[in-house]
Amino acid sequence: MIILLFFLMLAGYAFGAAGALLAPDGAAARRWAATGAVAGGGAGLALALTVFASGTPFLLEAPGLLSVADGLAFRLDALGAFFLALVGLVAIPCGIYGAGYSAAYEGRYSLRFLGAMLNLFLLAMSLVPCAGNVLTFLLMWEGMSLTSYFLVMTETDEPDTVLAGGWYLAMTHGGLALVLAAFLLLAAGASTTAFGDLRTAAAALSPATRNAVFCLALLGFGSKAGIIPLHVWLPRAHPAAPSHVSALMSGVMIKLGVYGLLRVGLDLLGGGPAWWGALLIGLGALSAVLGVLYALMENDLKRLLAYSSVENMGLIFIGVGAGFLFLSLGAASAAVLALGAGLYHALNHAAFKGLLFLGAGSVLHATHTRDMNRLGGLIRRLPWTAFCFLTGSLAIAGLPPLNGFVSEWLLFQSLLPGIGSSAPLVAPLMTLAVGILALTGGLAAAGFVKAFGITFLAMPRSDAAEAAHEAPRSMRVGMGILAVACAGLGLAAVPILAALGAVLAGHAGLPAAAPQLGGGLLLSTPGGFARMSPTLVALGLVVVIAGVWLGVRILGAGRWLRVGETWGCGRGVQTARMEYTSTAFAEPLRRVFAELYRPTQDLSIDFHPESRYFVQSIEYRSEVVPWFERYLYAPVIAWVNLWAIRVRAIQSGSAHVYLTYLVIALLGLLAILLVRGA
Amino acid sequence: MRLFSKIFQIGLATEPLLPGGDDVVRLLHEVDGQARRLFGRALAIREVDAGSCNGCELEITGLMSPVYDSERFGVHFVASPRHADMLLVTGPVTRNMVVPLVKTYEATPAPKLVVAVGDCARTCGVFKGSYAVAGSVDQIIPVDAFVDGCPPEPADILRGILAAIGRR
Repeated sequence: MIILLFFLMLAGYAFGAAGALLAPDGAAARRWAATGAVAGGGAGLALALTVFASGTPFLLEAPGLLSVADGLAFRLDALGAFFLALVGLVAIPCGIYGAGYSAAYEGRYSLRFLGAMLNLFLLAMSLVPCAGNVLTFLLMWEGMSLTSYFLVMTETDEPDTVLAGGWYLAMTHGGLALVLAAFLLLAAGASTTAFGDLRTAAAALSPATRNAVFCLALLGFGSKAGIIPLHVWLPRAHPAAPSHVSALMSGVMIKLGVYGLLRVGLDLLGGGPAWWGALLIGLGALSAVLGVLYALMENDLKRLLAYSSVENMGLIFIGVGAGFLFLSLGAASAAVLALGAGLYHALNHAAFKGLLFLGAGSVLHATHTRDMNRLGGLIRRLPWTAFCFLTGSLAIAGLPPLNGFVSEWLLFQSLLPGIGSSAPLVAPLMTLAVGILALTGGLAAAGFVKAFGITFLAMPRSDAAEAAHEAPRSMRVGMGILAVACAGLGLAAVPILAALGAVLAGHAGLPAAAPQLGGGLLLSTPGGFARMSPTLVALGLVVVIAGVWLGVRILGAGRWLRVGETWGCGRGVQTARMEYTSTAFAEPLRRVFAELYRPTQDLSIDFHPESRYFVQSIEYRSEVVPWFERYLYAPVIAWVNLWAIRVRAIQSGSAHVYLTYLVIALLGLLAILLVRGA
Repeated sequence: MRLFSKIFQIGLATEPLLPGGDDVVRLLHEVDGQARRLFGRALAIREVDAGSCNGCELEITGLMSPVYDSERFGVHFVASPRHADMLLVTGPVTRNMVVPLVKTYEATPAPKLVVAVGDCARTCGVFKGSYAVAGSVDQIIPVDAFVDGCPPEPADILRGILAAIGRR
């Protein structure tokens, strides 16, 4: 049964890919790709739920395939199943959405290739959490990276896309090299590279090696997760990719970085010293606050969402880091709560960030621009998209009753007990983390007021926004599924938390029986520190809103309602130029955080030759300093370029010279053999 | 620290109220009481310059000055008609200001009062007949009370405000 589901998942994606590749025309390719994604995603979701329900891992080994490195092996335990469920949850709506969205590519780019790559990407992502040994994991990991690279490169004729692809490829392969090094260190003392053997061997490793493995894994998986300072590819690659691919990359793929970190750090290494957790919390806090601050400055809707992903990955890392920290302090139930909060936020972020990217895709589809300063007034033209985007914005801003509120509440509750910890430096660290969490939450709310308000409200700022049209039905269905998921994941917090307890149970000294994180309608932290019922909060909100609405209707307050024009200082006509722009909305925060942004402003005004009172054109440009690109990456890139030029000297293009190199290399190897043999 | 030393160096800098000043204070108390009766709270005024020579504005500003300080009695000027109970309109209404004045009047939430301040607001004064003038204030929007004077004193303006409130 369970193996049937596994093969159904493989077959779904494989047929989707093959069907799309062999389709007679673009429309058929789109349908094949969507069918494959939905079938594969559905089977993957079912497989994950079956593993949850049965509680026994799914095993499948094929040592004969690629037998040099222990062959292919699949082992899906509860931790992997959680991430597989996450893939399935986002793959289905994105597949449906993609069918409508990619129609605009007809005739410009190959829809066959796009559909096939989408399905292969989903297949690789689904198999990463199923991997049971190092070879399988790395193969799938690399497959995921390469297919997503091709997907990012869909719109190849845009110069930005090529640049984004270059950044992405460099960062992801740098990460792969580090992950590979971490696994090599781990596998040094193990009999095979199966994860079970690595776990046994890891216990015997010296503390220094364990630290090295953890740091390499953190850097390697962190580059995939988009943790600052390894986030630079994210705000480039996500806007360049087609929107349903951005939703998948931001919603799911970067979460697999968290999966890798948990697999290595928690499962294989079994946790470590307290500073691992502190390092994770520190990086998470940095990513959260800088991510949201850069998101606030963005005028590009999809870049804003990409930076917001950096922020949310930071929040997840804070939760995971607190889990590692509590684990090292021996507070198992607090660790389960913190890790659970982190994982729950990962699930929620997949739902609302997927939704937001799909919404941004609808805006892009309708207006062909991502520049918020050219949008506006879309709520009347794209009511469905506006409603879905609003749902996602409310969820990501952490407003009840949606899922973002519940997971941010849990993150707070998981950190607060740490403030009372007696261990040295833990209390100040946790206090700082709680403060950063609060600051991030507030700034994120401001950021999404901007994202929604500037894009959808007021008057259109360009002809493109004026002429916008609602998305086709397939795209609306895709967004609708995720909007419902945002509400559902919040309301179903209690059973989900119980399931997450089961995911974590038994890993790395965590108790096999998970601590009770609530029952019935009530969510409660261990020790009864805090209690909250998402369902009752939602119910209360519905009652209050319905009560106010009914009260207004019954009392007839509407009789005094007078509909008038928006107050525009008494000017005769109101134009879109009088509206707040995206830049203007963020201006107060730009000033508050001027020390970080160091904004450069460039204002040039063309006056009428007759009088300075008449302005012919105004150009305003303001940029913030990209600290990491300028001071961290630019020197590295310059250094690599320098060496590339130097090394080019030996690459003359003459076959004779190359033959000479071969002879010298051969002689050198022989000489080494002679010396060692003697 | 510089602030504190300055306070000590300069000492009290206020002047005693001029003769007749008590009258203004009594009027302000009365406006406050009447506004509370009508609106249930302090009075919020939006000033609209419909084309005045700014003489009336100088006197209206006088109401806010340290001498009268109308704000302490809850008579305060607001930045948007959306927040206002009363419009204080000055000057003859120029053609350019007709639309803004009407829009301001429409944007003010009911119940609303309009006080036309100065001779120009009633008769267009020396600007009467100019090609740039559309007419007096009451030709453009309904007016509750007029304040005569060129320019009227703050006390006169307060009497006008009182008269407008008293009509309700």
